[in-house]
Amino acid sequence: MNGFFTIVNPSYLLFPALVGTLIMGFVCPLIGSYLVLRRTIFLGLTLPEIAAAGVSFTFWLQQTGVLPEFAQGERSIGMIGSLLFTFLGMALLGYLEQRGKGMAEGRLAAAYAFAGAVTILFMVFNPAGQVDVLNLLKGEVIALSRGELKLLAVVFGLVAMVMLVFRREFLLISFDRDLAFLLKGRQIIWDILLYLLAGIVIALGVIMAGPLLIFGFLVLPALAARPLVSRMSGFLLLSSLLGLVMAFVGFYSSVRLDLPLGPTDVALGCCLIFLAYGLSRISVRGRAALMLGALIVVSGNACGSARTASPIPEARALNPRPLWLAKVKNSTALPLVLPSSNPLRSLAEMAGKVSADYRSSVMDLLRQDLQTEFEQRGFKVALPEQLDARFTALASDPDSAMRLAREGRLSGAVFVSEIWRWEGETQKFVRALVDFKLIEVDDGTVLWERRVQRAIPTPSATNLGQASADAVRAIVRELFAG
Amino acid sequence: MKSPNISIIAKTAMADGLVPLIVMDNISLGYNSSAVLTDVNLAIYPGNLVGLAGPNGSGKTTLFRTMLGLLAPLSGTLVRNCPLAKFGYVPQSAALDPQFPLSVLEIVEMGAYGRVKSFQIFPVHETKRALEVLEQVGMAHVKAKSFFALSGGQKQRVLIARALMVGPAIMILDEPLSGVDEESRQSITSLLIRLSREECLAVFFSSHDLEMVQRVADKIVRVDRGAVWVEERSGS
Repeated sequence: MNGFFTIVNPSYLLFPALVGTLIMGFVCPLIGSYLVLRRTIFLGLTLPEIAAAGVSFTFWLQQTGVLPEFAQGERSIGMIGSLLFTFLGMALLGYLEQRGKGMAEGRLAAAYAFAGAVTILFMVFNPAGQVDVLNLLKGEVIALSRGELKLLAVVFGLVAMVMLVFRREFLLISFDRDLAFLLKGRQIIWDILLYLLAGIVIALGVIMAGPLLIFGFLVLPALAARPLVSRMSGFLLLSSLLGLVMAFVGFYSSVRLDLPLGPTDVALGCCLIFLAYGLSRISVRGRAALMLGALIVVSGNACGSARTASPIPEARALNPRPLWLAKVKNSTALPLVLPSSNPLRSLAEMAGKVSADYRSSVMDLLRQDLQTEFEQRGFKVALPEQLDARFTALASDPDSAMRLAREGRLSGAVFVSEIWRWEGETQKFVRALVDFKLIEVDDGTVLWERRVQRAIPTPSATNLGQASADAVRAIVRELFAG
Repeated sequence: MKSPNISIIAKTAMADGLVPLIVMDNISLGYNSSAVLTDVNLAIYPGNLVGLAGPNGSGKTTLFRTMLGLLAPLSGTLVRNCPLAKFGYVPQSAALDPQFPLSVLEIVEMGAYGRVKSFQIFPVHETKRALEVLEQVGMAHVKAKSFFALSGGQKQRVLIARALMVGPAIMILDEPLSGVDEESRQSITSLLIRLSREECLAVFFSSHDLEMVQRVADKIVRVDRGAVWVEERSGS
């Protein structure tokens, strides 16, 4: 299981993703604090959307052949579009602001709607790259490589440093422009610098984490910190700390519960705001006591996460009765057919001369591995289709599994497996959600059950088929290890 | 329209030997070529306590903004004999955004930002100085409090402390007594008199309360419907 200590181990496969999320969680609130204080929160919402339109646009250009293929990969192309559109968007919004026509909120709302529409339209124009663009815009931080992490660390590190060095200038220009003018002369340079930094953070962050998560990191920690502090220095520090908490707890929950990172983090950030307003109503001592209590609970939970689940019962609990290993039920909307290892057959399949039925599936792999493992442990494994060829895959719901087993005149125990989710988005991991149950046929008692729900690292896989095979092996090993 | 003639630090010695800090000679001022006040003639010397009286919307803030260089005059000559950084400006506290989490001490320290370099950690002697000016305005006991949690009168005194932190030659205060209780009015008024008399600071403040201005100021500038009258008080 992915416990607390597994996640913070540098050798953990998703460790770069964790560090990347923490970097974004720490630096984005430094910029976002000023967006909140200057009452330009909507800019933090609109710019990521404009950056997303840039990503979609550059992918479309590449598909039409206007842009060449880049050896550096999708993210580099997306980053160019993201940066370009972000700065163009900022320049245009700045120009309209200078002209002072219409309401600022109206301009931002229109820009947000337009950017959202353009993002979708360019995706529709580019059906071949639709999935790639969607994946990029979803912001799979989980797929962050060590090279990308270095880039993120350098850029965001520089941004944090500039924010720290010029904190007095940014405060003065944001809080009292007249005083800033008297003390330091025309100060437009600080406005430009602040928005330039915001543009860089947003453009890069959208590519790495998606627009939703970047907006969340920019704004939510600052909103949560605001009711708790009465000093600017404390506000910036607390915003960044809450950003770190949001990033870490969000990442941990996302990995443990197999939830998408962006929405998990954003939901957590919103909870932090409610919590902060609640805490602001009690005394400082009360707050400290509550924080300490929460820390103890979280630490206890983190340490407790190392506990192991119960393994499959031993063979003697069933013998001499047979263990009916039912076909694995596929409850995803995908066929989960593995790619062919024979290139000629693949070509024939593409030409429509061979059916895809010859290929094995994830369900077949899982069942084979389960059968081998059960037999090695002394179970008398039987396959229901050997009794009746019409036997279908059994659902993990005990009632329907028991009913089908009885109708098929099985006796003893039946082992059912149901795949709810199986996604190998990159060749680094497979996201799986699989239910396993050992059910007594006579009375429907569930003798043992387990749900495996997590991203399974598949570092040595060179293609999606191999990744699925590795993931199946890891799951079966986990079931029998406990 | 005549183009404005602005001289910063013109070192113009006046006939009587005293150098005025600011001279406005036949100035018209306003926004986008539309004049709010015309033919403004005014000189402010060190130690002057000048009151600017007029109803709301008569151009008091526009006059201040022009003096501070935030607005260019439409015509006429404006001479400043001290740098802008020596202007201690006290805005109306309502003009500041309460969204900012700022303590009283942080607000006052802002007055030193012109002297502190970006890379520099805020110097200890500047913090000491901030505490001194807070003491001077009688607000040292609330230094750690949130600025926006203070009463109107307390906020004004903290903003005066911030202006003093600049090390000003001239203080410009925009409606320092508006929205302030009677006790604070008296304490702010006596503070302004003290700064002018004891520290020889030029103090230029505005108010829509003519009676109060007449009681306190030694030079009164009255503005109404685009016209300006300057009235010297006896003994000034």
